[in-house]
Amino acid sequence: MSQESAEPKQPTFDGPPLSLEEELAAAKAEPEPGPSIETVNESLKDGLNRCPKCGSTDVRLRGSTGMLVCLFCRNEWQEARVEEEFGLGEGIDQLEGTVIASGAGDIAADAADQLTFKCEACGAEVVVDTAHALNARCHWCRHTLNVNQQIPNGAVPDAVLPFRLTKDEAVEKIREFASKRRLFAHKRFKKEFVPENVLGVYLPYLVIDARAESQYWGKGEVQTRRWTEKQGDNNVTYYAADVYQVSRQVSFTVDDLTVEGSSERAQIGPANTNNIINTILPFDTKNAVKWNASYLVGFTSEKRDLNVEAVRPHLEDQLLSIGRSEVRGSLGRFDRGVRWEQEKLDVGGSRWVSMYLPVWLYSYRQESNGMLHYIAVNARTGETMGSIPVSQPKLLLAAFTVGTFLEGIAGAILVASA
Amino acid sequence: MTLDLITTLIPALVPMASDDGPVWLLAAGPAGGAATYWAFYRYYRNTDKSHQFERDTLIEAQPVQGGEEKVGHISKTRDSDIDGDNSDNYRQRVQRVQ
Repeated sequence: MSQESAEPKQPTFDGPPLSLEEELAAAKAEPEPGPSIETVNESLKDGLNRCPKCGSTDVRLRGSTGMLVCLFCRNEWQEARVEEEFGLGEGIDQLEGTVIASGAGDIAADAADQLTFKCEACGAEVVVDTAHALNARCHWCRHTLNVNQQIPNGAVPDAVLPFRLTKDEAVEKIREFASKRRLFAHKRFKKEFVPENVLGVYLPYLVIDARAESQYWGKGEVQTRRWTEKQGDNNVTYYAADVYQVSRQVSFTVDDLTVEGSSERAQIGPANTNNIINTILPFDTKNAVKWNASYLVGFTSEKRDLNVEAVRPHLEDQLLSIGRSEVRGSLGRFDRGVRWEQEKLDVGGSRWVSMYLPVWLYSYRQESNGMLHYIAVNARTGETMGSIPVSQPKLLLAAFTVGTFLEGIAGAILVASA
Repeated sequence: MTLDLITTLIPALVPMASDDGPVWLLAAGPAGGAATYWAFYRYYRNTDKSHQFERDTLIEAQPVQGGEEKVGHISKTRDSDIDGDNSDNYRQRVQRVQ
């Protein structure tokens, strides 16, 4: 089987020629360090995933069990869990530097999405668009071809967490979510709502173990006295307080912190509804298994486009937030509150694994403002969250009605008391 | 938009009230209307929702260390709490020390 880019390779310009001394120094230098954890599934190197019992390649995921099933002999099996296979749950408190698994390596800038495979069964050439799917069927002989090698475009992660919720269960969850929000839903959305259009998507995440120490400095106040003074007809409450300079520090480890691997969804703000997909985290990432593209048959997938260095600021933000939440319990004495003014983070070590996590995704594009609304279902835990387009006139009418009613009551009380 | 409506309505309504009655009651209408709008909008759009990684991630922390030193005293204030309390707002970043 050949695996090659569909686009012709362009010669790359790599700068002016080096001097003799530089050439010699480069030749003597240590080779570039490879990935710290090699997660390639060697048994699938030929791109074919054969049933261990009968050798058929007609393999797909059985959602109800989370196992692979051979459609020819009905044999069921699964890949090893990466947690044990690569020792991911261990030694977080001794992590040093940045440990990156091979599937989370940097994406080569010139790597193409389109891969051409030669079908082993009949010799035909089959093109796989790795941005959306990592397997394809030969259009001549129906043989299934999988992308199982970790190609440099970041499409093949270290591990995959299989779907557990079936499509019917997801449709039910989405319908239930939307039916609770019918009254003020946009008229057009109600008309066009078809939960059966839900798609099973594997979304790319970077799953991180880290060891960190964070420090915080700020001001805290303790109330020393409280009294009231009469000013005209009113009583005014006054306070006296001691002001303290407060510092806190905490060392901690985090296990399987899950961060978006797609730049599009990493942007969360009022201009989009990406927070919906973020909200259905966490996943039971401990149950992720070694990469095998057969888990993806029948589902689409989104390609990772963020490298470890791009995600690092996001990780540091989250570690600082976690540290802040850890020190919260030690601030009880400051009954008037604490205002943090400075913070510091030292990441002792981090370990990065790239993972595909399963989501049932219903998306709806609102014509009036072009906003894409999602209803997302975590395909492991069933947690559902969504955004429903709102009918502004209806909502304003309801707000106005409630406001008028309350104003009427307030007016009646005032008249009665006058 | 709704907030603008409230800020325009309240000064317009207040002079209409009797001097004897609790005038602030007149704010109930606009406030109730705004709260209704806000509550339903949030229930439908969930713009405020986010993954609570501070709570839902497996975290093992060593005991918290630190200290406090008295640096001043406020003898009289009407504020019931400190200015800019961000001890519960874990995601609000402050000055980062390198």
